[in-house]
Amino acid sequence: MGYQLNFGWIPQYMPVLLHGIGITIYLIAVGAVAGCILGIVCAWTRALGPVWARPPVAAYVELIRNTPFMVQLFFIFFGLPSLGVQMNELQAATLAMIVNLGAYSCEIIRAGIQATPKGQFEAGASLAMSRIQTFRHVVLIPALQRIWPALSSQIVIVMLGSAVVSQVAAEDLTYAANFIQSRNFRAFETYIVATVVYLGLSILLRFALDALGWVLFPRRKAAR
Amino acid sequence: MQRRSFIALAAALATLAGATAPAHADALETIMETGTIRIAVPQDFPPFGSVGTDLQPVGYDIDMAMLIGERLGVDVEIVPVTSANRIPYLQTDMVDLVISSLGKNAEREAVIDFTDAYAPFFNGVFGPDSIDVGSVEDLDGQIVGVTRGSVEDLTLTDMIGDGVTMRRYEDNNGTISAFLSGQVELIATGNVVAAAILERDPDIRPEIKFLVQDSPCYIGLNQGEDALKAAINEIIAEAKTDGSLEAISMEWLGQELPEDL
Amino acid sequence: MIEFTYWDIIRNLLLATRWTILLSLVSFIGGGLVGLIVMSMRISKNRIVSAIARGYIELFQGTPLLMQLFLAFFGMALLGFTVPAWLAAGTALILWTAAFLSEIWRGCVQAIAKGQWEASASLAMSRFEQMRYVILPQAIRIAIPPTVGFSVQVVKGTALTSIIGFIELTRAGTTLTNATFQPFLVYGLVALIYFALCWPLSKSSQILERRLNVSHNRH
Repeated sequence: MGYQLNFGWIPQYMPVLLHGIGITIYLIAVGAVAGCILGIVCAWTRALGPVWARPPVAAYVELIRNTPFMVQLFFIFFGLPSLGVQMNELQAATLAMIVNLGAYSCEIIRAGIQATPKGQFEAGASLAMSRIQTFRHVVLIPALQRIWPALSSQIVIVMLGSAVVSQVAAEDLTYAANFIQSRNFRAFETYIVATVVYLGLSILLRFALDALGWVLFPRRKAAR
Repeated sequence: MQRRSFIALAAALATLAGATAPAHADALETIMETGTIRIAVPQDFPPFGSVGTDLQPVGYDIDMAMLIGERLGVDVEIVPVTSANRIPYLQTDMVDLVISSLGKNAEREAVIDFTDAYAPFFNGVFGPDSIDVGSVEDLDGQIVGVTRGSVEDLTLTDMIGDGVTMRRYEDNNGTISAFLSGQVELIATGNVVAAAILERDPDIRPEIKFLVQDSPCYIGLNQGEDALKAAINEIIAEAKTDGSLEAISMEWLGQELPEDL
Repeated sequence: MIEFTYWDIIRNLLLATRWTILLSLVSFIGGGLVGLIVMSMRISKNRIVSAIARGYIELFQGTPLLMQLFLAFFGMALLGFTVPAWLAAGTALILWTAAFLSEIWRGCVQAIAKGQWEASASLAMSRFEQMRYVILPQAIRIAIPPTVGFSVQVVKGTALTSIIGFIELTRAGTTLTNATFQPFLVYGLVALIYFALCWPLSKSSQILERRLNVSHNRH
């Protein structure tokens, strides 16, 4: 085709790329931690919480899981200001990530909680543990351990989905790629570089989550 | 009819001239042979490219594409593109021309070729009355929304100091939505885009703060297609003198063409 | 300025939904077939074959679908194959879907107790026969709920094909927003249509899962 690949632009745009990588890492770090906390709260509500609170949480989970992330992002960024909730693009992107991961992790964690044998609750109660204590030590930790692989996969999926936040000008890695290719018109090379970086990020993230699993659940082997 | 055969003749001659160029399939030759020219147009950039109620593209750029097809005497295959993929379409030979309100700069000229200007484009910084900005220096400390990769993005980025924050949206819709929802108070955009917003009578009105640049739009094509470029330039020159470009301008921009286009 | 009625907006979105549905079906069926091959390779005893499948899965699960679509479309063209947008979109989505389905199904196949493999091997069955007559019939039952569940991701994934100019529901939504300046209305409708497409799938996946568990418990 006579088209020559040219990567000579990389040094010139390195700061832009690094900035984008930094934002993507920030988004996934904050999104994963806050999203999982939200997921735990929602999972508790759906499985063991007050009955009146269950339908709204179920509606939230179903709504998020059945619409594309991009539409959710647009609603938060363009829709919420009309209700007086103003936030910048990075806050909107972060919130969208949290809300999205919260719904998915809720379902994953709930499955883990529901797999808890009934005797465990009774055992917890017989040790004079409070409900919260029972939940934390007897239900949640083993549940998280059970579903850790599924949760890890979901976090990686959400990280890759974060490519969409560039649509509201949040300056993540995809934004950097789009910014660069709008300047140098070298779209293939730019997207190849971005794809390789994403692959590296997801492999690193997976390693980090596996390592975290070993730290959080040291009795993993003994439990099995 | 006469004009058409003249163009065809010019095209044929240009093709002959082009035959001495390094050997690869000549775009103009292929167009004349197949009787079809493939043209990339925007559909997210009113009034240059938008859609009608049947979702078919309409606008200044589409009319320009049709004009070129008519003058070359070939059918036009309209290919709707986004700002992200318009150049790859050209580079991978999926289209012959990109008519998508393209601005020109040196970095872009290293990758693709441009014809003569075919449309006027004034861009400026717009914002509500409440913001006191009169020049590029006043922008210090402000946040300006802009469509990424647009003419005004390239120009304004070169003009501003470090104190200005640019928010670059994926397409014009993002920029307009961000402005209307109050996410950014200032936007850099074309006068025609601001006019389109005003026409909807929004709560926040984009008034002109200052003019950034008077930078016309060019048609993009692959490098080395000199025959095609010559033929298109011929059509543009003719359309400027015979009033057909004027008519397109009146219809979509509501103004006459500037003298110096 | 062209005026759009509500009916114009809804009509155009529904027309575009046809392409979302068609693309989802193509991706899901094609992805299923390719996924079956990748899954067989992945559980193969041949280390090299298994490693190739693992690399494939790692690559497609480890990069954004957005990038895959872009590289598929323009990358193929660079290699000299000029492909229309729908073909590139379909191909990329099939490859992406296959990577996920193969992993889901591998889990299901490996969930079949080892004794089953050994029992069937002792009947002098070939590996293909083992799969065909012993493992798959059982694995398919546990595979159906997560597979139906994943189809929701495929439907939502088609939204990203807009980047290569394929006009489906999301692209039509963006285009209509530009023409009407009514992002809330248009994106609200877009979200509603996606929900109408995806929710029945999610729900049936959950119901199937529950039924399966019940029948499991009865054993």
